[in-house]
Amino acid sequence: MKVELRNIHKRFGKVHASNDIALTIPAGTIQGILGENGAGKSTLMKILSGFIQADSGEILLDDRQVSIKSPADAIQLGIGMLHQDPLDFPPMRLVDNFLLGHAGGLFPNHKEVAWDIQKLNAQFGFALDPEAYVDSLTVGERQQLEILRLLWLGARVLILDEPTTGISASQKTKLFETLRKLAEQGKTIIFVSHKLEDVDVLCHKVAVLTAGKLMGEMNPPFDQKKLVELMFGKEISLGERYSAAAEGATLTLRDLAVEDARLQLSNVNLELRAGEVVGLAGMEGSGQGLFIRACCGLLRPVHGKVTLNHLDLTGKSYHVYKQNGATFLPASRMEEGLVPGLTLTEHFILAEETQGVFINQERGLVLAEERIRSFNIRGTPTSVVESLSGGNQQRALLALLRTPLSLILLEHPTRGLDIESAIYIWGKLKERCKQGSSIVFASSDLEELLQYSDRVIVFYSGKSTPPLDARSLTAGKLGELIGGAGWDEWETEQSA
Amino acid sequence: MKKNIWINLGFQAGAFLLALLITTLILIFAGAPPLKAYGSILSGAFGSQKNLIAVLISWSPLLLTTAGVLITFAAGLWNIGIEGQMTLGAIFATWGLRLFQDTNVSPALIIAIGLLFGMAGGALWAALAGALKTFGGVNEIFGGLGLNFVATALTIYLVFGPWKRPGVGSMSGTKPFDEKLWLSTLPGTALSPWGIGLSILAVIVVFILLRGTYFGLKLKAVGKNMRSAFMLGVPTWQYSMFAFLLCGAFAGLAGAIQVEAVYHRLLPNISNGYGFLGLLVAMLINYQAIWVIPIAFFFAALNVGSIQLQIVHKMDSSFAGVLQDLLVLLILLGQGARERLLKKA
Amino acid sequence: MRKLFPRLAALALALMLVLSACGQAPAATEAPAAAPAATEAAPSEPFVFGVILIGARNDKGYSQAHYEAGLYVEQKIPGAKMLYLENVFSGSPSYPGQTTSQLASQLVDQGAKLIVFNSDDMKDEALKFAKENPNIYVIGASDDWTWKDGKTYTPSPNQIDIMGRMEYGKMMAGCAAALTSKTGKIGYLGPLINDETRRLAASAYLGAKHCWTEMLGKDASELQFKVTWIGFWFNIPGVTADPTQVADDFYNSGYDVVISGIDTTENIVEAKKMHDAGKEVWALPYDFKDNCNVAPDVCLGVPYFNWGPAYLATMKTAIDGTWQEGFQWNGPDWADINNPDTSAVGFVKGDALSAENSAKIDEFIAKLAGGLDLWTGPINLQDGTNYIADGKAATDAEVWYLPQLLEGMEGQSVPSN
Ligand SMILES: Nc1ncnc2c1ncn2[C@@H]1O[C@H](COP(=O)(O)OP(=O)(O)OP(=O)(O)O)[C@@H](O)[C@H]1O
Ligand SMILES: [Mg+2]
Repeated sequence: MKVELRNIHKRFGKVHASNDIALTIPAGTIQGILGENGAGKSTLMKILSGFIQADSGEILLDDRQVSIKSPADAIQLGIGMLHQDPLDFPPMRLVDNFLLGHAGGLFPNHKEVAWDIQKLNAQFGFALDPEAYVDSLTVGERQQLEILRLLWLGARVLILDEPTTGISASQKTKLFETLRKLAEQGKTIIFVSHKLEDVDVLCHKVAVLTAGKLMGEMNPPFDQKKLVELMFGKEISLGERYSAAAEGATLTLRDLAVEDARLQLSNVNLELRAGEVVGLAGMEGSGQGLFIRACCGLLRPVHGKVTLNHLDLTGKSYHVYKQNGATFLPASRMEEGLVPGLTLTEHFILAEETQGVFINQERGLVLAEERIRSFNIRGTPTSVVESLSGGNQQRALLALLRTPLSLILLEHPTRGLDIESAIYIWGKLKERCKQGSSIVFASSDLEELLQYSDRVIVFYSGKSTPPLDARSLTAGKLGELIGGAGWDEWETEQSA
Repeated sequence: MKKNIWINLGFQAGAFLLALLITTLILIFAGAPPLKAYGSILSGAFGSQKNLIAVLISWSPLLLTTAGVLITFAAGLWNIGIEGQMTLGAIFATWGLRLFQDTNVSPALIIAIGLLFGMAGGALWAALAGALKTFGGVNEIFGGLGLNFVATALTIYLVFGPWKRPGVGSMSGTKPFDEKLWLSTLPGTALSPWGIGLSILAVIVVFILLRGTYFGLKLKAVGKNMRSAFMLGVPTWQYSMFAFLLCGAFAGLAGAIQVEAVYHRLLPNISNGYGFLGLLVAMLINYQAIWVIPIAFFFAALNVGSIQLQIVHKMDSSFAGVLQDLLVLLILLGQGARERLLKKA
Repeated sequence: MRKLFPRLAALALALMLVLSACGQAPAATEAPAAAPAATEAAPSEPFVFGVILIGARNDKGYSQAHYEAGLYVEQKIPGAKMLYLENVFSGSPSYPGQTTSQLASQLVDQGAKLIVFNSDDMKDEALKFAKENPNIYVIGASDDWTWKDGKTYTPSPNQIDIMGRMEYGKMMAGCAAALTSKTGKIGYLGPLINDETRRLAASAYLGAKHCWTEMLGKDASELQFKVTWIGFWFNIPGVTADPTQVADDFYNSGYDVVISGIDTTENIVEAKKMHDAGKEVWALPYDFKDNCNVAPDVCLGVPYFNWGPAYLATMKTAIDGTWQEGFQWNGPDWADINNPDTSAVGFVKGDALSAENSAKIDEFIAKLAGGLDLWTGPINLQDGTNYIADGKAATDAEVWYLPQLLEGMEGQSVPSN
């Protein structure tokens, strides 16, 4: 289906999030949308998919003007969207999840739906069990589920808002295959991303947004340098990689064993030096989560010992770790990091040490302004966090880190950040390392792991490598390990 | 931001007008001339000093229960158990007075002890609901409902059993306390300046707590997102518990005031629905503490004023309740509609 | 998603409250028209009086009897107008935080010159109101404040306390029960426990015992008479015992006649159900003269109050300024106990009473009229102590302040400890 946007405007108070956008996407095209954080990508996509309404402008589908007032309208017209921050997934079965969004039919036919799911599965080579529960799926599987659901509902335009953060390389390959197949069937795909390499391999056409405006469009072959210039108005390059690791251990793990309902991790040892950065690699759910939570008291180890700054904190709660200078920023920022409904200022006040009974509002405001400036957050001290763009939420999350800290634990620290911000944020984190903080972070981005880690630990279905020197690793070797190949070396060692 | 406030007010006013319209239709249907009926309500509430005082008497416990549930609402809790907490306040206050009434402790001190006992009783009952939730995983709505029943049963047991009037076994309540143990009231009325003073103080405390303190901010964080609050270092279950305790203490104080200033005895039903009404008021004002004082006053005036509907227009005594519920329902619906519209705008 | 639940819960809560309130609302529309004929002939200043009812004005019981007495006064005094408030009892959800004396003031605001407090539940409040409003007349139905021989005599110049000698009505009810019962087991559905309710239950027992022994010639020990109290004058769900349940329990355990001591009609309603299911049971309702109409098939009769004449007389004294503080304990008009203009207490026989027993009741009433006093000793209390010595007639005060049930009666005398 051909999609055409004309003169779209959308304002949020002072922010002009969509400023006179005009864009035509022919049927069968995979359209890339690029732009810095807060450029207005999600806003534009939400307008097209009915989650919000434009202030003015027209939307044409196959040259017919349409009015989209709700997501239901949108899906009726054949437009479906996968969100940047997936909405809540209630504990229900896949079939029920399908039926939930289904308009017609008073008496749903479960069998038929399950059959439909199987057919779609076959078509795209997915392996989703219709009777499984949605909350047991990995991020990648949920994405597959959403795609199938939208197709089942009759979507002919599929919008994906930053779909490649948090999924593994193989899942990504599978996703791209699917998207190409869909495009061949004449479906229109809109693909929002910060990753130039993804856009490069996938898209037929790219549009760049900056501060609400459409800055330009480009056809392949894409000139990455030019795209970056369009997005940021300047060239961007990765800084020199360097290490700030010093003598002395911040965190030590001795023969640690942790487990949850699905996974067991054992024999983990680590001596984390002050200023050192350790990256955790692996497919989603391979044990990095357990590891990182065991480092800060969110999971009680079944065996072994955790020492922070020479204090034995084994079995202590997260708040004790926090008092001793550790902090953890989890991946699900809206569920386990930020508090929707509270403003930026309120967040910064909460994150700092409590001083007395009454809040000094002025001091809070100064603090907020300072953090907003230094983390380059697009928002005001009184913005509630849910009104920030995805990338800006991530910046706000990172801005919550107190000073000083001895141990910073992060999951996907640059998730949703544009290239420039990602570099900038890492600059800030490395600064912390120079001041003596140690960092442990999990990421699915191999380049990020190699660029910023001193050492890397790879996880594969509950097994872990010893910390490996990052300089001795290549993206290829790392990819192999993540995929479960080349583990013999440590298997024998561990059993010995 | 500014614009939002006006839209808000517009919706609130619209809902209010709609409620008025429906009420008017009901009045016409019931055969009462609407304008006269509204006139009767107004004069019934404000027509004389006595009536105004009756409004204030009804206002005081409503202030306390609303202030209490604002705290629990801030913590994301539905403290349905507030009725039972108020009842326990009344029971404990009665207990306190009974313990000391035959001693030579000074009456003023006994009265104060009664109020403190009441607060402790309410807090205890709320703590039970909190413990059931935190340690037993029982949703506070169900726990609260259960505890409300237990509180009523306990009152009945005491009124008919150990605390009965000599030679009498009646739901009418325990033997009234000696006049020296009554909370001092304005001469010739049941209005206690102490009661009113403490209730307003409670509202002010809640207002300040929720607005300018670390405690209030942390409570809100717990209420809006428990997991994030925990990650930010807030001891979450302790804060939930504290919210329960505080709310229970306010409700208990309301119960104690009913005993010491209004009824001078313990009787079943002493909470009189003030707890539930407090929940409604809190929802109506969209959890903004600043509105408690006027809106609770409005409801109290409606309570008292609509008695005239029965006297003058022979309408049923439950009409005030219908009117209140209608108002709350419509305003909540209005809030829902506004949210949907604003989201689209 | 997350926000939805509280919102729904809020709506559900509000709806629940609305519905529960609506459930009681319809009564509002059936307000009977107050005798308009009388108002036409209104003199210069109409006399307005207020009646505070503990129950509903159409409760087919105690409160309705008072309400109709008010209508009677409206009819008899040209231009007199009644105002009323219903469901006024301790902790009534209709009037949160309002004391009864405050409510009375509201009636005064509407012009009432005299207030009737219709129940013992309002006893303290009536006295308080009388003290605070010396210019308003007060009638305390069933109170004893102004009784010089009373235990709690308190001078209150603007107050008159009125009670009917229901003891006689209860004796007749007891007699009808004893004459009819096949099992010899009589149940008494008691309200709360106090002086009044003890003496009325005891009177019913005395009537039953008299007819059982004297008229049927049976042995007193074969008569079982059991009192079960519900805790208040009428059912308050969740607070009192459920009178329907209590009545059922009586009938299901061999008590074939249940005498009501409460303001409402549960005993006769349940008897009717049992009767329709083939059980041989009877009931005697209370308070309101038309109550046999609820279920004539099972009704042996109803003892009732007729407050009209006393109210009329008292209010006339308020109008013409001859008001005299004091206590009235008015008996039946023995010439015709059912005369609406003269008798304070009456007894209407029910259809279920056999012709033979009906004659016996008439005989019993004639004996009472002729001076038979069942409150003559020897009368022993439930704990066996002698209360009225052999051959001695009890004084009014001894009857009024009966401290326990009587020997031979089952049930609590005073609430348990
Ligand atoms: N509900 C809202 N209320 C107020 N401002 C909003 C709201 N939604 C978005 N904005 C603002 O609009 C601008 C564009 O946001 P949008 O989410 O479209 O950015 P984006 O391009 O998707 O960024 P990111 O890459 O960070 O996801 C931002 O400045 C954001 O703060
Ligand atoms: Mg976005």
